[in-house]
Amino acid sequence: MRVSWTSVAGGSLVLALGVAGLVRGAMPQSTGASAPTVSAAGPIAVTNAYIVAPVPPTEIAAAYFTVYNTTAVPDKLVSVVSGAGALSVLHVETSNGNMVMAEDGLTIPAHGSLVLRVGQDHVMIEKLYGQVKPGQTVDLDLQFQNAGSIDVVAPVIKVGTTPPTGSATSAPPSGQSSSSATPVPSGAHS
Amino acid sequence: VIRRRTAVLAGLLLAVLVLAGCTSSKSGGDPQPSQLVGQTASGKYQGFGLDPAQPRPTFTLTDDNGKQFDFGTVTAGHPTLLYFGYTNCPDACPETMADVQIALGKIPAAVAKKTYVVFVTTDVKRDTAARLREWLGQFAAGTKATWVGLRGTQAQIDAAEAAARVFLATDSGQQHSTQMLLFAPDNYAPVSYEVGTTEQQELAHDLPVVAKES
Repeated sequence: MRVSWTSVAGGSLVLALGVAGLVRGAMPQSTGASAPTVSAAGPIAVTNAYIVAPVPPTEIAAAYFTVYNTTAVPDKLVSVVSGAGALSVLHVETSNGNMVMAEDGLTIPAHGSLVLRVGQDHVMIEKLYGQVKPGQTVDLDLQFQNAGSIDVVAPVIKVGTTPPTGSATSAPPSGQSSSSATPVPSGAHS
Repeated sequence: VIRRRTAVLAGLLLAVLVLAGCTSSKSGGDPQPSQLVGQTASGKYQGFGLDPAQPRPTFTLTDDNGKQFDFGTVTAGHPTLLYFGYTNCPDACPETMADVQIALGKIPAAVAKKTYVVFVTTDVKRDTAARLREWLGQFAAGTKATWVGLRGTQAQIDAAEAAARVFLATDSGQQHSTQMLLFAPDNYAPVSYEVGTTEQQELAHDLPVVAKES
């Protein structure tokens, strides 16, 4: 993340997300299953979603996922709303290596994919409602221009550990189990 | 990932990124930077080779205990990882430090013991000594290496970055180089690293090799 989370950026974020996004950011998060979900019901499939738990005193979490567009027309990931924090913003690496906010969204080519990964494109979740810890899960609501809203459940992993794979029946990330999943702080903690 | 220091390295990385983009959408395969490095450097290392090797820089900053730390003198003769970043970084910085932490656990203890890991904060205003200590301590935990968090005035940080030949951080330090340099006991850095899925194994492979360069 190289774009400032100052009030200046914050203003842009509000624009990027829209007021509705901020309100919806207060959605409660699921508890229980920590396995990644695969949302493949529609023309857009989202896999390998996960959140890297911030290392205190870091106050920002990063989310990653892969989007497949199975349709013959491009779609666009317009915004993300997270249950973990009030602000979620897409950050992309430009061709010259700068990390910038993707204010116009991220295009998924027809029959193509969009891969968010460490050190490159990612979603920054800020203004966290509470601590985000490994073993928890976070709801992500991805808004697509054509496909509309797609919800995924992203397990929270420890930094440096191998991200979960998105196969439909994948086990929880190593070192974690469903039973160890703890309730994620809700908006009430904000 | 941020702007890279040299056009050559940028091109090399771009090639890796393109490769990654192609393979991951099909098979989830990871890029293999070492293969590219093998074409441009000695091939001894799995990280991104630096040709020519960079001399160990000289700069003095303040460590997270408030003491002056003369990087060039104190780390001389030691395998030394040098990274510039900031503690509120959610992406590249913690992943890089975690990769170092994990790699240190995979190498011979004798090599880990000799190794310095130096993190220089680019966020001059926010990163107090206490913040640095809390953040870095979690990565240092369980390793045998010596971890040092350094801070300074903006001018001092700029000078340190220039000495290390990484580009100067901007935007309150949040726009920063993500290149991690590895200096050998001979006081040159023959190799560097960028965060990614192969970084842990690259470091685990390269640290013992670099430790013999004296």
